[in-house]
Amino acid sequence: MIEVSGVAKRFGDVEAVRDVSFTAQNGRVTGLLGPNGAGKSTTLRVLYGLLAPDAGFAAVDGINVQSDRIGAQKIMGVLPDAHGLYVRLTAREHIEYFGRLQGVDEATLAGRTDELLRLLDMQAIADRRVEGFSQGERTKVCLARSLVHNPANVMLDEPTNGLDVMTTRAVRELILELRKQGIAVLFSSHLMHEVARLCDHIVIVSSGTVVASGTTDEIRQAAGEENLEEAFVSLVEKEIMA
Amino acid sequence: MNTIAVVFRKELKDGIRDRRAVMSAFIFPVLAPIMVYGFVMMIVSLRTQAVDTVVPVMGIENAPALVEWLKERDVKVEPFSGDPEEAVRSKAKELVLVIPDNYQERFRNIRTAVVEIVNDGSRNDTQATYRRLEILIQRYSNEIASLRLIARGVSPEVMRVVTTEDIDVASKQQLAVAALNFLPFYIILAAFVSGMGIAVDSTAGERERKTLEPLLINPIQRYDIVFGKWLASSAFSGLGLVLTLVLCVAALLHAPLSDIGLNFHISVEQILLVAFATVPVAFLVTSMQMLLGIFAKSFKDAQSYIGMLTFLPMIPFFIMLINPFATQDWMYAVPMLGQFILMTDVLGMKETPGFAYVYSFASSFVLGAGLALVTARLFQRESII
Repeated sequence: MIEVSGVAKRFGDVEAVRDVSFTAQNGRVTGLLGPNGAGKSTTLRVLYGLLAPDAGFAAVDGINVQSDRIGAQKIMGVLPDAHGLYVRLTAREHIEYFGRLQGVDEATLAGRTDELLRLLDMQAIADRRVEGFSQGERTKVCLARSLVHNPANVMLDEPTNGLDVMTTRAVRELILELRKQGIAVLFSSHLMHEVARLCDHIVIVSSGTVVASGTTDEIRQAAGEENLEEAFVSLVEKEIMA
Repeated sequence: MNTIAVVFRKELKDGIRDRRAVMSAFIFPVLAPIMVYGFVMMIVSLRTQAVDTVVPVMGIENAPALVEWLKERDVKVEPFSGDPEEAVRSKAKELVLVIPDNYQERFRNIRTAVVEIVNDGSRNDTQATYRRLEILIQRYSNEIASLRLIARGVSPEVMRVVTTEDIDVASKQQLAVAALNFLPFYIILAAFVSGMGIAVDSTAGERERKTLEPLLINPIQRYDIVFGKWLASSAFSGLGLVLTLVLCVAALLHAPLSDIGLNFHISVEQILLVAFATVPVAFLVTSMQMLLGIFAKSFKDAQSYIGMLTFLPMIPFFIMLINPFATQDWMYAVPMLGQFILMTDVLGMKETPGFAYVYSFASSFVLGAGLALVTARLFQRESII
């Protein structure tokens, strides 16, 4: 379970996040929806333990991220905003490196690596250096290395950004597979249709605060709009006006 | 498994696969010995050239003793027959020494024997040979005169009212030693060149390629990340440094140093001691490079800062060159300066105090570790990503 409570964060004069609270339950997909610059990535970085919030807290399975960063990071799998790879390492070496950093023992690591390569359909490229990989292949490597330690909580920052249809579909299937395993999945996106399709619970963020949350239907009702996209636009505009 | 070891192994693997970094790290050490060898050969050949005074002599048979004496003084004597004046005028010969038929007779009768040096006074390029020959004959004349006086019970000093002695400070040997002073500087520079690849790649490079954020999300201490990277860069840097040191010593041992009057020798024990005292420079250099790498906004930035850093070891080298200073004990405890003096001592076969090795080792290592700690602290900051 992922919990964010009253988080605020400012960088100098810029108030990136004012007040964000939400919960992502186990076995559910929670979508963090918001326009660019709404504070999604900053909120997630607080959650990963990369940024210390000015107010509020973030916790994973009851472990406070700020007071026990390492304990919390052990039980989270993260696909951050930065999708960088080490160009001279192979796909398999990436997964193994992150597995070792996560403290996965060598015996488990080999099996888990193969499992992920299969799950993401990457066997053919497993032992090639990632230099020259397509955007989709790179994202798969990033996903695999973030899941190598079997985390109970998964956070994905814009996982389908810039991907082709086939890879997007693979990512979507992976998310549903994780849900089936009882994992708490939190993912951020600015793509309405994707969120509507995948998420059990939606949190809409605008200008650093949560403007609405609930199921697709609840959000439509709250905005008094038929269509989710209209609902999103009206909620975001209302917040910006205020 | 230990996190430092995991990071260390990954950075090492990544570094070894970086062709360009490996090339620049290991071409540098190989260049030094080639340069040393070439330099020594150049001095040797310069010396041999200067010694090659060729003198055509007409009437060799008239003065065998004089000719023999000249040969002993590295003059190449060749027999000449024909018209000496014509040969010099036509530039076929630089000059010709003409020993007349009456030389032997006059010599025996203790009359002044006259030999002619036929030369062209308008030619600058033959003046050196001319002067050398004239001085040599003058010296021969003086030697014989002295012997004659001694035979008559007179001290030869009667003849010598005043004499001068030529003391050339810039002997070839000293010149060679001065040039070899360049080696300690070069060996320290090797640490900078060899470690730079990984040091920049694992700091500024990690940020530029957007791999830093995923790395920092792992449940590990950031100190461990920095130390792993530091050790990997230092391994490269240290290897480059030791390789340069060993190859330079090997080149010195194989170069014909004895031909220029240098007698270089070094024991295995000394090499090990110097390596021991110098390797910490690698740890110091890479910690400085990583610190700059973290501050830098981009890979390019980092490279230019680190390029400037490379001027650091040049400071003692140029001070020594311009204004040679006397070594004092505390100097061994100044990182890089200590190693510089130490290597200069050992290569110049001067006595080195035992504590010098310990001072040099400890000061560089402690400063290097301190800077690595500073780097690790900076790594804790939020703004790192």
